[in-house]
Amino acid sequence: MVALNQLITLTRLTAVEAIRQPIFLLVTNACIVLTAVMPMVLLHQFGEEGKLARDSGLAFHFLFGLFYASYAACSSLAREIGSGTASAVLSKPVSRSEFLVSKFLGLALVIVAFSTCACVSTLMSERVAERLAVTSNAAGYVIDWQTGWLLVCAPFAAMGVAGLLNYYGRRPFVSTAFLVLIVLLLFVFGVSGWFDRSGNFSSFDLQVQWRIIPASILVTLALVVLCAIALSLSARLGTVATLLCCFGIFVLGLLSDYWFGGTDGRSAISALLYTLIPNWQHFWRADALAAGGLIPWSYVGRAFVYAGTYSAAVLILGILSFRTVDIR
Amino acid sequence: METLNAGNYAPLMVEAKGLVKVFRDFWRRPKVRAVDGIDFNVGSGEIVGLLGPNGSGKSTTIKMLLGLLFPSEGSVRVLGESPQRVTARQQIGYLPEVSELYLFLTPRETLDFYGRLFDLKPKTRRSRIEQLLEMVGLTHAADRQVGEFSMGMKRRVGLAQALVNDPQLLVLDEPTAGLDPPACRQVKDTMLAMVRRGKSIVLSSHLLADVESVCDRLVILYNGRIRAQGSVKELLTQSDRLSVTMPALPPEKMKSLLQTLRDHIGEEPQVEHPSLDLERFFLNVIEDAGDSQLTGAGHHEGIARYLDGTQ
Repeated sequence: MVALNQLITLTRLTAVEAIRQPIFLLVTNACIVLTAVMPMVLLHQFGEEGKLARDSGLAFHFLFGLFYASYAACSSLAREIGSGTASAVLSKPVSRSEFLVSKFLGLALVIVAFSTCACVSTLMSERVAERLAVTSNAAGYVIDWQTGWLLVCAPFAAMGVAGLLNYYGRRPFVSTAFLVLIVLLLFVFGVSGWFDRSGNFSSFDLQVQWRIIPASILVTLALVVLCAIALSLSARLGTVATLLCCFGIFVLGLLSDYWFGGTDGRSAISALLYTLIPNWQHFWRADALAAGGLIPWSYVGRAFVYAGTYSAAVLILGILSFRTVDIR
Repeated sequence: METLNAGNYAPLMVEAKGLVKVFRDFWRRPKVRAVDGIDFNVGSGEIVGLLGPNGSGKSTTIKMLLGLLFPSEGSVRVLGESPQRVTARQQIGYLPEVSELYLFLTPRETLDFYGRLFDLKPKTRRSRIEQLLEMVGLTHAADRQVGEFSMGMKRRVGLAQALVNDPQLLVLDEPTAGLDPPACRQVKDTMLAMVRRGKSIVLSSHLLADVESVCDRLVILYNGRIRAQGSVKELLTQSDRLSVTMPALPPEKMKSLLQTLRDHIGEEPQVEHPSLDLERFFLNVIEDAGDSQLTGAGHHEGIARYLDGTQ
């Protein structure tokens, strides 16, 4: 019970610390704005605008998320050790394994929060994309500009509100901006349902592709796995070395199917590497959504088990490594 | 090197035997021998000062006591257990060398965070936080972020967090670094008050006056080795000399007294007016200026409230 309370306390602190880092807000805002702008510049794509907006949104989610997950994980531990807060915490009755696990859980929470923003943005971005609209006297391709601009403006509005709260209420700017952003995104998401593509008030209809959500969850699972890898590596390595290793693992994992995945004449080493290296292709299923396809929830469940097992295994290695590290 | 015994202080709170710490580079080659075979004990209810210049191995020794660094050789036991064990650290309070705090938290949040790590009950935690904030004179700034604080204020937060669990053993690394004289006095008063309650303190410093004024025993380190050790009295007393303090006498009586002394000791006795030490003088000036907060009037009240056993 004591250990659980400590774990919750440390997890909460890690999450709060992570969302107060300016880079987190920067990455989240960049991801949302690019996701929002993409369908507004994609014109005349032979009816593929929706797919392109969806793929772009998921790709931004993946890329910005990968960068943030690896950077936050390795800098979080390195920063705590470098600034000495790790030694202050570990001089209390807190075990090193608890410390590392709480770091992971805190960062995983933040990744889920980031992914929520990215997922809502992708859902709205897909809605914004140009589509054929037919009225009683005309027909043509129409972009949902209203929703698009609402989405683009949401991060700036959130920063404006956070600035005011910082000025008048001394609230921390970065974390407040992020929390306001989540609320604003959900608000904009709800409000857009009351308007049709031409911007006219209509009965409530969100007109979104809910099947994007499983794809987005898969991307989130990939980010959590990379976070576990980066955190475990940073128990021994510095920030730059950890980032380089993460980049290497990311590339290997992306090409794992091609390099180590063949069944004919596959060597034992290839088989071992195929098993050990996380296969990012399992988490990138945007193509499955093309032509009205769906990602089955059973697949998401299996991916969840894979990501959970892989993260746990990597964290155990990280804990074993961290147990013998000198905290200076 | 002879072991520094805890004298009449028992049981032992810290027991270090043949401690060696060698820092290695990336390839595991020895880089620095920061601590080189030191032995010392700390008994219950005493203040032991680790004294030495920068790089003498004080902080490394302290971090081995806390289980943050692993000894390359030798052993260390704190409160009868290895400091690697979580239970051993339940009764330790640690003030790091630099104020290692989460800058985005307020002092109240910081103390709450550390109180939770010790699993203090909410009611106890709340009352202790208020007492500690009062004791270190930060009640007025309890809800400002630590990142906005001066170094001295951060040290006060650091001291408060070290006391949040009412520890049996307090480990203070350069506790007065960056503090103004009144705050230094406050820290020293706190240490003495803790010892009166039977707590033990390991104090590391290179400020000689601080160590001399509060420590029962000294361990003087240089280049990772113990160069001198013993009680402050043993180390500093010149047993073959005497000084006498008495009221000033009229010139003719003084002349007669000096002549008598000269006849007995066969050399010219040194006669001078005793002087206050600069810290005492400075505190008197501040006190006269009527700034009770700076001189620690509120602080003493705070110590009393914290240490009266009701926390």
